[in-house]
Amino acid sequence: MFQLYKARLKCLVRSKENIFWSYLFPILLATCFYFTFGNLWTFEDYESISIAYVSEGGQDDALKMAMEEAHTDNGTPLFVVNYTSEKEASKLLEDNEIEAYILGDSDPKLYIKNNGLNETIIKSFLDSYRRTSITVQTILNNNPKALEEGLLDDLMEAETFVYEVDNGKRPDVMLIYFYSLLAYTCLFASGWGLDEVINIQANQSHRGARVSVSPVHKMKLFLSNMLAAITAQAGGITLLFIYLYNILKIDFGDSLFPVIVTCMVGSFTGLALGAMVGALGKGKVESKEAIVTAIVLGSSFLTGMMIVNIKYIICKFAPFLNYINPAALITDALYSLYYYDSLHLFYINIGILSGLTVVFGFIAFLGIRRKTYASI
Amino acid sequence: MIVKVKGLVKRYDKLVALDYLDLEVAEGEIFGLLGPNGSGKTTAINCILSLLKYDKGSIEIFGKPMSADAYDIKKDIGVIMQNVAVFEALTVYENVHYFCSLYIKDKAKVKELTEEAIRFVSLEEYRNFYPKKLSGGLLRRLNIACGIAHKPKLIILDEPTVAVDPQSRNKILEGIKRLNQEGATIIYTSHYMEEVEQICTNIAIIDKGRVIAKGTKDELKSMISIGEKITIETYQGNENMVNELKAFPNVFSVELRDNRLEIKSNRGKNNLVHILDYLNKNQISFGRIVTELPTLNDVFLEITGKELRD
Ligand SMILES: Nc1ncnc2c1ncn2[C@@H]1O[C@H](COP(=O)(O)OP(=O)(O)OP(=O)(O)O)[C@@H](O)[C@H]1O
Ligand SMILES: [Mg+2]
Repeated sequence: MFQLYKARLKCLVRSKENIFWSYLFPILLATCFYFTFGNLWTFEDYESISIAYVSEGGQDDALKMAMEEAHTDNGTPLFVVNYTSEKEASKLLEDNEIEAYILGDSDPKLYIKNNGLNETIIKSFLDSYRRTSITVQTILNNNPKALEEGLLDDLMEAETFVYEVDNGKRPDVMLIYFYSLLAYTCLFASGWGLDEVINIQANQSHRGARVSVSPVHKMKLFLSNMLAAITAQAGGITLLFIYLYNILKIDFGDSLFPVIVTCMVGSFTGLALGAMVGALGKGKVESKEAIVTAIVLGSSFLTGMMIVNIKYIICKFAPFLNYINPAALITDALYSLYYYDSLHLFYINIGILSGLTVVFGFIAFLGIRRKTYASI
Repeated sequence: MIVKVKGLVKRYDKLVALDYLDLEVAEGEIFGLLGPNGSGKTTAINCILSLLKYDKGSIEIFGKPMSADAYDIKKDIGVIMQNVAVFEALTVYENVHYFCSLYIKDKAKVKELTEEAIRFVSLEEYRNFYPKKLSGGLLRRLNIACGIAHKPKLIILDEPTVAVDPQSRNKILEGIKRLNQEGATIIYTSHYMEEVEQICTNIAIIDKGRVIAKGTKDELKSMISIGEKITIETYQGNENMVNELKAFPNVFSVELRDNRLEIKSNRGKNNLVHILDYLNKNQISFGRIVTELPTLNDVFLEITGKELRD
């Protein structure tokens, strides 16, 4: 079986097309995103973001001050802050009156509804605030007189944050692109999956007919072929991930493990999707390839890989789409890791994604189980 | 019997591709399945291999009923399909190795058999070539090597010489004979009667999914009435002469076309002598004379009323 696996893997990685689309293309795209959006981003036509702040804190609430003072280069305030109760805030968020609300001052928690640019700005702001206040705390602990000596003046400037975003070094605001790209690359595994299934189906390819007359059990062939596909996919996604994480320094939140899990599950979804399309019906190989590509591009498109606004439109008008669109599930899982400390939402997304994978895989299995055909 | 097919019926929707087909292939034979395009050769092969569902009939190989899960039968069969089926991304050597390893577990043995198969089809020089770089004939040879590397007891070849130059074709035909001498039973389909005549020990002629004649090549030829075809070039032929020749014993058809006299006669001795006597007596001058024994094409023509190949 290892020999079969090895030969299939050779076939996969020797195909120039495969290597380009699964290995190089995502990296090229990531580079494009990085330089295009990284440099073009300015606060020129920035509109203040409506948020609500729920706090029992007193007058000298540091976070409140920071939020009110934060502004962009040309003086536009970063936020319009409403002070409400938690209940009201949650209602406002529900009605799309505000984009987020923040709870508490000492350990502020962020609540958002959608994932997007504004949410990312709020999140970055909050992160930066947290970092600053920890620094301040540390300095004060070491040198209680620091405040009087004016050592903290710089740090207290909320503008620090604006500066950080503005110089393009922290590309958090374009996370949406990178997450979609990662989702796209995961789902692109469908190409490998499709290939592998076509190659063992007697009614799909001459090679399939040839291996079908051999004494190797079909499920064994399927398994070794799929292992080859998984290996090839793992290579592609690892390469992209290392590039995003280590070279472009994209922020994936605090812990990497669940991010890697997301990539793995997403890749399996892609493989299963490809296998399903390959196993269903007779169709020409070229049309199947087109179908798979259309599904992958389409679902990535709907997550905002090409046009960010699409994501909000879907959220508003067809939210259910996000629950069956594998690319949306992958990006949402990644977002939830980035925005929230709790893994609750992450589990939901990964759960649905795994469910989809099982369904795709099962349908593929039914198609592959067949060994004699009415017509080939 | 190595292969026994009884009453095989296969329909594609309304089209009846196999119509109660019966075949029997004995051990050690080179069995030829001869039929024009679309007569059902490939369909029959695919049914025998359990790739296609069929509507009626039974198929036994090595005395056991054939099915998709009959792995103990499949391991002793080698198949060369009508279409080349190799991996573009693997070299000649790797392709043969891959297909051989589907049949043989022992790694060292696979290597050895792969080398042997490559030598068998004389592709040693091309062992590191990718299929894209091979000519049509070489590609066909690779296709064959992939099918026979594991030394099967039964080898099924579906038109392995389509679109192949004469040199490669002869190599292939000789190779098939050699495989047979080494002990393999062969099923060979083709619509080239010359090939079938050249190598097959037993032949079934099929048309429209039915066996219309079977036997050895001589048996088949003796089934039809033509024993000899004599063609004589002459510029003095006329109606009268045609009629007189028709009255000769054994002769049953005479035609005059483009200054060529075509005479078909029953088997019998001295047919030509009588005709030449007649021409001499009547002082008819003539040019070249060609006499031919009937071909399988004549057999096909006589049974179906149409040419094997158009
Ligand atoms: N998948 C299919 N669907 C419908 N009809 C088919 C299919 N495959 C073959 N046929 C029809 O069945 C008949 C037999 O075809 P088959 O391919 O078995 O002929 P063949 O003898 O192998 O011909 P050739 O010499 O051209 O290879 C033909 O009439 C063909 O059109
Ligand atoms: Mg055919």
